[in-house]
Parts: sequence; C-alpha cells; structure tokens
Amino acid sequence: MILIKALLLYCLAFSQGVAGEAVLTEIAARLAKTPIAQGDFYQQKHLKVLHKPLISTGTFTYHQSKGVIWKTLTPVASLLLVNESRLLTGQGEQAVPAAFGKVFKAMLGGDLAALTDGFAITGTDQKTVWQLALTPKDEMLQKIISTMVLSGDTELRWLEIREAGGNVTRITFENITHPAQLTDEQEADFERLSP
Amino acid sequence: MNKKPILNVYHPKLTAGLWLVGMLVICVLGSQALTKDWLETSFLALLPTSEQQPEIAKATQQHNQLLNRKVIWLAGAATSQEAINHAQKLKQQLEQSQLFNKVVLEFPQQQYIKQYQQLFPYRYQLLDAQTQAILAANPEELIKQNLEILNSPIGQMQAASLESDPSLIFSRYFSAQNPIKLNLEQGIVVLSEQHRFWALLLTDLQDERLQLDKLETLSSLVNSATEQVKAAGGELLVSGMPLFTAHGAESAKQEISTVGIGSSLGIIVLLWATFRSVRPLLLSSLAIGSGLLAALVICVLFFGKIHILTLVFGASLIGVADDYAQHFLCDSFGEKDWNPRKGLKFILPGLTLGLASNLLSYAGLGFSPFPGLQEVALFSAMGLLVAWLTVVLLFPLLLTGFTFDHEPGILKLTTYWEQHWPLWVNKNRRWLGLMLAVFIAGGLWILTPQDDVRLLQSPPAELLRTADKIRQLFPMSPDNPFFLVSGKDQTEWHQNEQRLLERLDALKQQKALTAYEGLSGYWPDADQQQQNYRLLKRNLYDSGLLERYMTDLGFDRTAVKSEYKQFAAAERNTLTLPEWLATADETKKQLWLGCDSGRCQSTVALIGINNAGALTALQDLPGVVWVDQVESISSLFARYRIRASGLLAIAFCLASLGLGFKFGWRNSVTIMSVPVAALAVSLAMLGWFGQLFSLFNLFALLLVLGIGVDYGLFFFMAGDRRASTSLGVTLSALTTLLAFGLLATSSTEIVHAFGFTVTVGIVTALLCAPLIGLKDIQSSNTMERR
Repeated sequence: MILIKALLLYCLAFSQGVAGEAVLTEIAARLAKTPIAQGDFYQQKHLKVLHKPLISTGTFTYHQSKGVIWKTLTPVASLLLVNESRLLTGQGEQAVPAAFGKVFKAMLGGDLAALTDGFAITGTDQKTVWQLALTPKDEMLQKIISTMVLSGDTELRWLEIREAGGNVTRITFENITHPAQLTDEQEADFERLSP
Repeated sequence: MNKKPILNVYHPKLTAGLWLVGMLVICVLGSQALTKDWLETSFLALLPTSEQQPEIAKATQQHNQLLNRKVIWLAGAATSQEAINHAQKLKQQLEQSQLFNKVVLEFPQQQYIKQYQQLFPYRYQLLDAQTQAILAANPEELIKQNLEILNSPIGQMQAASLESDPSLIFSRYFSAQNPIKLNLEQGIVVLSEQHRFWALLLTDLQDERLQLDKLETLSSLVNSATEQVKAAGGELLVSGMPLFTAHGAESAKQEISTVGIGSSLGIIVLLWATFRSVRPLLLSSLAIGSGLLAALVICVLFFGKIHILTLVFGASLIGVADDYAQHFLCDSFGEKDWNPRKGLKFILPGLTLGLASNLLSYAGLGFSPFPGLQEVALFSAMGLLVAWLTVVLLFPLLLTGFTFDHEPGILKLTTYWEQHWPLWVNKNRRWLGLMLAVFIAGGLWILTPQDDVRLLQSPPAELLRTADKIRQLFPMSPDNPFFLVSGKDQTEWHQNEQRLLERLDALKQQKALTAYEGLSGYWPDADQQQQNYRLLKRNLYDSGLLERYMTDLGFDRTAVKSEYKQFAAAERNTLTLPEWLATADETKKQLWLGCDSGRCQSTVALIGINNAGALTALQDLPGVVWVDQVESISSLFARYRIRASGLLAIAFCLASLGLGFKFGWRNSVTIMSVPVAALAVSLAMLGWFGQLFSLFNLFALLLVLGIGVDYGLFFFMAGDRRASTSLGVTLSALTTLLAFGLLATSSTEIVHAFGFTVTVGIVTALLCAPLIGLKDIQSSNTMERR
C-alpha cells in the first residue's frame, strides 16, 4: 500500500515538474529577450504592523551581464545596485540575500530558466497573460519568503512577494523599453558594482 | 708536554664499568621520559618568550591560540550549487576524520537567533558607532535611512522586525556586529569571484599543539580531499597555520632521515675501507649511539619536549660525535706495537682540548634566548660529552688486542696528501695568498645580513599562493600583528580602546586595513550605555521624532504608546561585559584578556593590513601597545646576530688564551690560524653565493671555530704521528662534511644556511690544518728541490 502511495506521489511530482517546465518554456518564448531593459516601478509593501502600505516609486534598469539598478525616487531617493555577487545600497556594501542576487536579475531579464535552480515553479499560460508561482527550495529562504508570484505578457508586469511572516510586497512595472545602449549615468552606476 | 694526573690512572675495567652504570641510568630515565609526548612540532615553540613582558606574552599566546587551530577550506566550482555540493561532501569526510572539534559549513543560525534574543532587552543601551553619530548629529537622517531600508526590495528582514524594533536601532546594532558581509546560500557562505563560486568551510583542530601523527593525517586528508574534489570537477583551496606546521614537520622528518641515514652510511663505508674490521664499526656506532641517546634523554628531561628541528641538527651530530672514536682508532696506525693504553695516553690531551673547545662553542648557543637554540646547544653538548666519555672510558677495554696487519689504502692517500699538499701550498704561497685575500675581501664586501624570522619556516610557494588567494576571497582571518589595550580599570580600558577604534576607523576609510575587531566596538560600558539611552531619549523619543515617524509609517496609536512605555521601562538596564561576552562567538571572546592586579586588558585584532606604518603610529595613544611578533622577533634576531658575533669573538679569544698558556703565544697564533681561515672563507662564500646570513650562520661559525681549533690542535700535537693524525682528521672531516653537507640540502632556509656554513668551514679547516705543525717546512722544501 505504502509503496503504491509513494509511487503515486512520485509520478505526481514528476508530472507537475514537467508541466511546470513546459509552461516555463512557453512563457520564456513570449518574453522579449534583450540585453537591456528599463522602466518605472510602483511598489506597495503591506506590513502586518502598519495599517497602510508603504508606497515607493522609481525606475529600474536591467543589464544582462552587469546587473540591476533600482532607483527609488519617492518617498526617499535612494539607489540600490545589485549583481550576482555584490549588493550596494545607501548603507554601503551588503550581503546579497540568497533570494535576491540571481532571482531579481533573472526576473527582470526574463531568464526564467535560471529560476528553476532555486525555486519550485508552477504556472499558467493564457492567451494574453501568463502567471508563475515560485516557491523557494532553500530552507533558510523559506523562512523568509513563502511564495513569489510573477505575471506578465511579453514583459514582466507584476510581481508579488509573500513573506512567511505575512508581509506582502507588490510591484508593478510600467513604461518598459529596451534601449540598445546604457546612458552614461547608468554606465557610471554599474561601474560602482564592478570589483 | 704536561701530563694530567688522569693519565697516570689506567683501569680499563673500572672505567668501562662506570660507563655502563651511567648508560644504564640514562636508559632507565629514557624509558620514562620517552614514553610521554616528547616531540614538539610547532614553529612558535622555537621563538623566545622571555624577552617579552608577561602580559604581551599572554596576549600573544591567546591571539595565536585560535589562529593555530584554524583550517579554512574553500570548495570551488563554476556554479554555486556545485560548490555547495563539493563542500557538503567534504564536510562529511572531515567529520569522519575526527581531527577537528568543530566543522562549520552551515551558518550557525540558531546561535544568532539566541544572541539576538539575549541582547534584545538591552537594545536602548546598545548603539553601534555609526548610529550613535547619526543620532547625535542629525536624527532625521536615521528616519530617512529607515524609510530607505523599509522601501527597498530587500528590506524583508528589517520589515519583519519592525513590530518589536520600530526604530530599527537594534537591527542596525546587530548587523554592525558582523562588519564583513557574507553571502549565504542554503545557509552556507558562498564567496564569488569572476565565473567562480567558493563554498566556505571552517574547521578547528582538536589540539593547538599537534602531534606528528595527527599532522600527517591532516596532510594526507588535505591531499585526498583535494584529489576527490578535483575528480568531481571542482577545486579545493585549503589554508591555515596547522598546514604550515605539518609541512615543516614533514620536511624536518625527511631531513632527519636523509642526514641520519646518509651520514651513517658514509661512516660505515669509510670505516670499513679503512679498518676492514667490524670492531671499529661497532665501536663507532656505540659512541655515536650512546651520545645521541643520552643527548635525547637529557634534553627531554631538561626541556620537557624536544623540537623536531633540534633533531635535524642532532642528526648532523653523528658526524661530529664520530670524531673522537676515529681519532682513537686511527691512532693505532701510528705505532707498530700500539696498545690502547699508549694510544689513549697520546690522544687524550688533544681529545680533551677538542671537547673543551666544542663545549665552549655550544655553551655560546645556550646563552641565546631562543628555546630552539638552547635545545640544540644542550643536545649537541651532551651528545659530544657522552661520545667522548664512551671513547675515553669504554674504548680502552674494548680495544684490547686491537692491531692491524694491513696498511689501508686511505692511509697511503692521506699520508701522500699530508706530505705534498703543504709543499705545494708553500711553493705557490704568493699567488695563493693574494687570491685568498681578494676572495675573502670580495665575499665579505657582498655579504648582507637578513634577520627575517619568517625564514625559520620555508613553506612551498604553492602553500603561500593558496593562503594568499584565500585571504583575498575571505578577508576574515586576523593578521599576526595586533594591538594590546590596557587601562587601570574597565572604564579606563574602555576609553583607551574606544580612542584606538576611532583612529582605526579613519585608517580603514583610507584603506590602511580591511577591518578590525575590538570589544568596545560592540560592548558599550556602563557609562556609554547610559549615554546611549539618554541620546535616544533626547533626540528620538522626547523630541517626538519617533512618534511622528511611527504614525507616518502607519503604526497604531497603541503600538506607539507601547513602544514609549517599553523605552521608559528599560531606563535602568545595564549589560555587563561578562553578560555580553556570554552571547559572543569564540573569536570575540578571545579578544578579552580579563582584569587582574589593577589592570584590564584586551586585544584588537586587525584584518587585511595594507599599511603597517600607519598602524604602528597609533601606539602613541594611551594604554595602546602595538604587538608584532614577526617584526619584534626579527629585530631580536638582528640584535642577537650582533651579540653572537661578540660571542664568537669571545670564544675565539678564550681559545687563543688557553692555547697561549699551554703552548706559548706563537704556537697559539699558529693553531688559531686554521679556524681564522675557516671562518673567513665561510663568511666570504656566504657572500659570494648570496646565502642567507643571519644569527644562525653565526652559530654555525661557532661550530666551525670549535672544529677548526680541533684540527689545528691535532696536527700541531701530531709530532711524528702526522700520518695517523692526518688519517684521523681526514676521516672525521669527511664524516662531518657528509652530515653538514646533507644538512645543506635542507629546504628550510636556516638549516640549509647552517649546513652550508659548516661545510665550507670544515673544507677550509681540512685544507689548512696540514700546514700546521711541520717541523721545518723550509728544510723539507730544500730536500724536495734537490
């Protein structure tokens, strides 16, 4: 009996995995793949202890090999620079949280395949929009983030981070463009990240 | 020639009995002493401690304790996941080896949670330096930074703690506890460079002072693990003090066997070729064996432990200890109706003077403050003394009836040599003298001393490269130098250390160092804690800033009230240093040296020193001492090199005086010309070959002086037995040369230098000695011409 159950579970897990990956390839095919992406973001953080969300807006820049510039304009101007191994904020050099370095870049760059390493992925792909739910495999990370939900069309449009403690962050991406070159300012920001 | 009273007493059986009793005592003592752990392998044990103030010595010891046990492992691969897989496999392997009492791969999360909980009640008293400065100067800035953090896409951790720590001051304090930020993946520290990821594994060996077999296990573990990771497609970097020690011990062991076996074989071949009899062979082995055994036992009894490098030098003693035996044996060629009684009577004065001059040289070594050299001195002195006693006490009995009916080929050779070499030299003395003078002057001109203590250890380049690479990737291991901070009580100590840390912080900004660790940076003393509380009260709580910030963020009224209530309730809290230390990790605990007899002390560890000059300047601060073992010992080496030069001069004068009293001044000068030439040529050769010239060469020169006096003396006293003397000196020089020549092959810089110096010195002494004691060189010269 137990053996059959185990076998069933195994098949289930297996078939889900296949479905997940198939969806992933479909979605990946739809996403605009360019070395550079930039746009505006609107972020809402719902913290349990606060009765209103923390709202911030700003711009983001993604570069395939250089990383991400996350520039908050309101309520306080600040700059966050990140690649796979380094993270710079207004407070200086920080440890790169496990979820962050690769994931943030992969998400913004539409590199969904890179996400399968660290996350169990389930998803749906409909005509106009797709949606993916990512659950971290890393136990340490599970203690902080329970799920991340991504959705979009040819671009990533919406991201929701559900924390284990109940806090939720929702980010909307708008005005996304794919310039051929970085501006001087962007170049200078990325320069600070190179070791 | 004066005869000593001892010469008139000749009781071979009695003296042999005495010898036997003595050796039995040594065997009994040895059977007790050598069953304990008696071999020392740590290189730090060679360094002097007596010159340091006790508190500096104590601080140094505590500072080194952790360093001496740490082994750092980095498993590398193209992706972080592969690196982690390698590290996980490695961890299992290391745990199975049972060499370590700690193998840390996963970040000790529980420990941090516990520490967080323990310190949390004191959050209003604990502020990191940066937060303190911001609060004092511009509290609005703190609020701004909080908003930045909370709005950042990475602020999850801080946002999660917002309920209990709305102003985030404790989260700031807690993250300041770990100044170097490390990236974690699956709870494992992953370091990255371009296209390569390294998973970090930290281990602590069980004992600080490792026994040889454990060091061997460690070396083979490192090798097999490296191979395994490589086979799995990865790369492994390993570093740590124990690895250097292991390498040193390994090469020392190899050298002991090379030198020991090499010189033993050489002696056997030479003796066999000369005497074609087993008896001299056995007798020589007996003299050497009892000498070495006695030396070992007495050293272990005296010092408790004996260093492996002492044994390397000790192995070379085989060649010297054999001199006495050979001299006695060779004397049997000197007369037709030779017997041990006559032989002893003839050679005893020479042997005794030789022993005296050798002991004198070694006594010089004993007066140095280096435990290593004291060991070498006692070991050598005892070895020689017992070898001498064996020859003098035991040989007369065992050589009874020892005669030769053959004339060994080597005797013919040495006789020919002894007769023709002085003539040739005499004939060519003009240009030979000129050449020698130029050679010596030139060599001495080039000679430059080097006193770096790091030459004690000559690790292979690969080990150093790995260590460098690891330091680059993981700049967390403290460097060797550190600051010792003291004060008459905790308050004064705290003030002094705070002042130092402030200056260090400025130097850190200027990149003079990567990081530093001092307790007062984490633990504010009682006064400071009250100040912190008052600062918060004045600039954050009473000013209404916190209330405004909390309300703006969206906290409920009740939450704001509760926070103010908690703050008010915590006013009297004080966290004592022992309480704080109880929550700290081992590295931080090590920094505290404690308070006793009206003095409190701590060390400040330094990481990634770039500009040592800027750091040493800080010792002008009150209660601050810069402790740089490497530098201070190197300068000690330099001082003792000069002192040892003086010692050499004194030994030289004493020997000249002694010889002068016994044989007259002219003769004394004649005999001493042999060691003088040997010393000069040794020094010149060191210069010409660009060899290391340090304290240790001077001790080698002391030995050369002793041996040079021996050879000169033997020839001077040879009289009509020049042939047998020449044989004895040549044989003993050859065996000594073999021993020290083999020492010169050592990969340890100082051992090599020692061997090189003695080798050159002995060759020179061997070449010069036959020129001494010729009755009338002029007449033989004219005979030759005729």
